[in-house]
Amino acid sequence: MKKFYIALILTLMYVPILLVIIYSFNNSRISSLWDGFTLRWYRDLFRDRSMFIALGNSLILGILSSLSAAVIGTLGAVGLYTKSGLIRKRHPVGKLIEFLAVLPIMIPEIILGMVSLAFFSLLGLPLGMSTLVIAHTVFCVPYVYLVVKGRLVGMDKSFTEAAKDLGAGEWRAFFDITLPLILPAVVSGVLLSFAMSFDDVIVSSFVTGPNTNTLPIKIYSQIKTGVTPKTNALCTLLFAATIVLCLLSAYLARPRRKGKTEKKSPGNQKEIFHEKKRA
Amino acid sequence: MKKKGLNLFRRVLLLALAIPFALLTGCKDDGNSLTLFTWDEMFPQEILEGFEKETGIRINYVNFDADEVMLTKLENSNGADYDLVIADDYIIDTVISKGLAQKLNKQKLPNYGNINPVYLKPFYDPTDEYTVPYGAGVQTIVYDPAKVNIKISGYGDLFDPSLANRVAIIANYRVINGMALKILGQSYNTEDLSAIRSAGNKLLSLAPNIRLIKDDHLEDELISGEVSAAVMYTSEVTAAMTTSIEKNLGFEMVFPKEGIGFGPMAGFIPSKAPNPDAAHAFLNYILDPERGALCFEHLGYYSTYAASDPYIDPELKPLLTLPAGFIENMENIKPIGEEADQEHLRIWTAFKAAAGKSDN
Repeated sequence: MKKFYIALILTLMYVPILLVIIYSFNNSRISSLWDGFTLRWYRDLFRDRSMFIALGNSLILGILSSLSAAVIGTLGAVGLYTKSGLIRKRHPVGKLIEFLAVLPIMIPEIILGMVSLAFFSLLGLPLGMSTLVIAHTVFCVPYVYLVVKGRLVGMDKSFTEAAKDLGAGEWRAFFDITLPLILPAVVSGVLLSFAMSFDDVIVSSFVTGPNTNTLPIKIYSQIKTGVTPKTNALCTLLFAATIVLCLLSAYLARPRRKGKTEKKSPGNQKEIFHEKKRA
Repeated sequence: MKKKGLNLFRRVLLLALAIPFALLTGCKDDGNSLTLFTWDEMFPQEILEGFEKETGIRINYVNFDADEVMLTKLENSNGADYDLVIADDYIIDTVISKGLAQKLNKQKLPNYGNINPVYLKPFYDPTDEYTVPYGAGVQTIVYDPAKVNIKISGYGDLFDPSLANRVAIIANYRVINGMALKILGQSYNTEDLSAIRSAGNKLLSLAPNIRLIKDDHLEDELISGEVSAAVMYTSEVTAAMTTSIEKNLGFEMVFPKEGIGFGPMAGFIPSKAPNPDAAHAFLNYILDPERGALCFEHLGYYSTYAASDPYIDPELKPLLTLPAGFIENMENIKPIGEEADQEHLRIWTAFKAAAGKSDN
């Protein structure tokens, strides 16, 4: 029964994707007919210059907004969850700030897009890559924040305390102790944000400008003329890229040593010992 | 080890801060480009490449997914940023009334005369000052004679009891309600509420025949045999008929005898377009008879340039050009008043409930 249930759910989730991949090699324009294997949709795809401009824009946008979100989200989580942070001190404002920081995940994207556009035109900011990056950073921050927060909560405070005992200032303790410990979470937050930003069509379509077509907008705008198997080919490539990213993210965020109770600590000592020897 | 982590972090921080500024100040127009704002796949690749090679103007092809998004963008930039927009008829009406389009310079469009007169003086541009039509959706019926016992020649035949649960339609209420209006001898665009109401009653008797109401890939359902007859968007009709020709499926396409609704797309130049000359050059380029034919073959919508008709592939010609003598039977589906539109929505909802299907 359990196996059947799992099989059913996985089928529902992945068969549509599998069909898209299969049809990307279909010689017929019509997806309900199989007409032999072909790579011509991939060939057409690679001929389309505007497709690659859009892909490039989407990549730049994803990288910039996920990195900006990484900085803001990490700062936020560290600020709220370290020893002197508002949440650790059980200050009521701490929870409020956390709620406000995570809210963009829950706001419907269409509203986020509309208000962003209204805001940017109020500021007189020309629409383009800068507005795209700002709007995307807004909805990417919560992802980084939540992942990093999870890591910080499980982190042993005594590491940073030890560093400070040994004379390290706040900055030094952060860069030498906290950051390396939370780095896997930051990286997986970045990858998650990148995927979110790369996918987004609704927010983007509001705040994009005349020189920044993104890939999702381009694909979405094919509804007028009918989606060609060229898009199936592109979806296949994107799906492959997404899988690689997700695997990478999962690999980086896998649980590792939990702190002083773990048996790994002798290893740490050995490292320190080695460093001493080198010195 | 630790030092490296620090440097990496700083580098990332710097990068994140520096690149947006670099992009903000970079990416400037070099003065000889055409920002073309329309859906994706509106032109064959060879037309875009040919235009760039011939004129040296670089095409910056950007997309919108919905007409309303395009309008928002133009309102936001106050008619600047984009050189040429191709969109649907009803939204151009709004664009022009808001003063966001500029008048065409016909002297820069020597090929203007190639336009099919059916598509001239449309409701959105009654004096032909702002727009050049580019492709039109024309309402037809496609059916598979092997699976249908009657000969379908108009909307009325779709109501035949022998078609029970065998008909698919698109989820466009003006088109579907319009079928009933046409059967009753009314205009697609009537604002007479009682006429719309009686069309609603008429439409209810179509409900038992409806198997599917959906917008995308309706042609697949016809080809797979899920349904026997369909009222579809023009791009879907073209896809269904081309496949039928390739695979000898024997589908028939019918111009409904009650009257044909159509909706053109058209190009216009926004009021403050940075490079209107390039926009004129591109419009004139596609207005060329042979190039126009290539465009419509790719687009799968009806040719709006009479001079292009003879160049369209003979196999596709019946799908992309109007038969002679149909002109007086055609009617552009226009935006209507608020009250009439509400009535349309009401009868559409009642019809959908009766059909017992949801449009996805």
